[in-house]
Amino acid sequence: MAPVTIQNATKSFGGLTVLHGIDVEIADGEFVVLVGPSGCGKSTLLRLIAGLEDMSGGKIRIGDRDVTDLHPKDRDIALVFQSYALYPHMTVAENMGFSLRMRDVPKAEQDRKVQMAAQILDLSQLLDRYPRQLSGGQRQRVAMGRAIVRDPQVFLFDEPLSNLDAKLRVQMRAEIRELHKKLGATIVYVTHDQIEAMTMADKIVVMRGGHVEQMGTPLDLYDRPANVFVAGFIGSPAMNLLTGSIDAAGTAFVSQKGARIDFPAPVGVGTGRDVVLGLRPEDIAIAESGLDAKVRIVEPTGAELHVILDFHGETLTAVLHGRPDIREGEAIKIALPHQTLHFFDTQSGDRLVATR
Amino acid sequence: MSMRSQGRRRGYLLFAALCIFTFVNLIPLLWAVLPSFKYPADAFTIPPTLIFEPTLEYHREVWFENDFFRYLINSLIVSAGTVLISVPCGTLAAYALSRIPRRNSGPILNVLFTIRMFPHMLLAIPFFVMGTFLNMIDSYPLLILALVAINQPFTIWLLHGFFLDIPRDLDEAAAIDGCNSWQAFRIVILPLARPGMTVAALFSLLMSYNEFLFALVLTGVETKTLPVAIASFGGEDISLWSISAAGAVGIMLPIVVIMLFLQRNLVSGLTAGAVKG
Repeated sequence: MAPVTIQNATKSFGGLTVLHGIDVEIADGEFVVLVGPSGCGKSTLLRLIAGLEDMSGGKIRIGDRDVTDLHPKDRDIALVFQSYALYPHMTVAENMGFSLRMRDVPKAEQDRKVQMAAQILDLSQLLDRYPRQLSGGQRQRVAMGRAIVRDPQVFLFDEPLSNLDAKLRVQMRAEIRELHKKLGATIVYVTHDQIEAMTMADKIVVMRGGHVEQMGTPLDLYDRPANVFVAGFIGSPAMNLLTGSIDAAGTAFVSQKGARIDFPAPVGVGTGRDVVLGLRPEDIAIAESGLDAKVRIVEPTGAELHVILDFHGETLTAVLHGRPDIREGEAIKIALPHQTLHFFDTQSGDRLVATR
Repeated sequence: MSMRSQGRRRGYLLFAALCIFTFVNLIPLLWAVLPSFKYPADAFTIPPTLIFEPTLEYHREVWFENDFFRYLINSLIVSAGTVLISVPCGTLAAYALSRIPRRNSGPILNVLFTIRMFPHMLLAIPFFVMGTFLNMIDSYPLLILALVAINQPFTIWLLHGFFLDIPRDLDEAAAIDGCNSWQAFRIVILPLARPGMTVAALFSLLMSYNEFLFALVLTGVETKTLPVAIASFGGEDISLWSISAAGAVGIMLPIVVIMLFLQRNLVSGLTAGAVKG
């Protein structure tokens, strides 16, 4: 296991630059998730770490070695592919032992390590099967087994769960997490699914357009998104974002469409300025007295109720617990907790920190 | 119930149609096989007689009095040589072309395609001139190289399709598992390309075994191949029809035997290349 340092990583394909100087520090044994919409460069960054793409600029260190110019086979990493990339003409055991075979590890040692990994992943019964005889979840496990057997410095995962059905995905999520605990491995994990990122990561790196938007623990990102993009990306359902301005007194927000939210005290992000107000759906509550809103759509998920509200021309999504009895078309009153409101600069999208 | 009987009737109709289709396709074959067992008097009657006194006389004559074995061996040497050069070279080229960016491989593949379309008749003369210049006329290497040259574009195209169907992730997984490029190709990719290589080998074999034009121009007494030899059996003498026919049957036999052996590989190979995994 080893830390990974990425310094000013740049990658261009022809004239197209897909990574603009990325700096990421990954501690020894840390589970880091790279997350972002498709095309944000997260997979490319992973491939740079793996050595599958040449860097256009910058450096990558694994442990105390500079691996920038090393061939993948010399980097001591393991990669779990989205497609699993199992060798179709080899059995499960041969797939898992292949890297050891290439390193001339004695046969007995190979078998022992394969057996051990198979045991961890519950694959012992399947060692003689071929990949085509396995289910999606089993293939996924073999792909992970192939990585475990290597005992590499760093595990890389490239959207490993995206080909599995929802139930299996939740199960594998827990298994990978458990595996991380068991092995204490350094893991870099790529996904476009922010729930995967939130549930698995020690540290999340949110990327967009080849830049890092924010880096931090899952709760950091949730509680203090650095900008509008992260605010909208992390959390499900997504944060409500209203464009408008703070009034001259600094005690109310008025949206472009005229929806007005009064604060009990000035919020301390300036007066008379344009802002984007962020409001988490789960922070909205039904109240006896409060702001008027009209229920447009009610979506019960069982555990909670997703309600889409018409709030003076603005659309708000709210997540309600405790099965309140509300119907579509009904007028209700809502309360907004003022301490969990987020403010962002309209121009830059950056988070505005209260100065009070 | 009526659905099922309808389905069954459709099945019968389809079967009948396929029988007719197969029969129509077999007529040329029958046309060659039947006269080879007939005496010349029966052989050239029109319409052909179906009831006749069979004879193996002409098969015997072809195989034992006309140097048939020598020509067969020439054919096999030329075919084997063509396959053994064509398939390995084609495999390497096709793999490389399938792994470089399309904007680079595209033009090369287009050039190969153009070469493929070029009329062979126009190439035969330059090959003959070159062969004469190099003093290689009537030698195996000349004919083999000529056949490899005209066959290679097709082999590369065919194999290129197969390699495209093998995901690049496998190359990359192999690299991460500790293979250098050559090992990744040899240990991981090559075994997966085997159906494609079998198909390529068969097509190369058929092409070189049946090839007439280049064989006619570039061979002589020593290296004459079967197609050229059989063409010279017949001539204008109608009494030799039976011998020509027997020769045609003789040239078919090795190929039929090989096809029977490789049939399964051929079918799975053809579909494997056509359908994306």
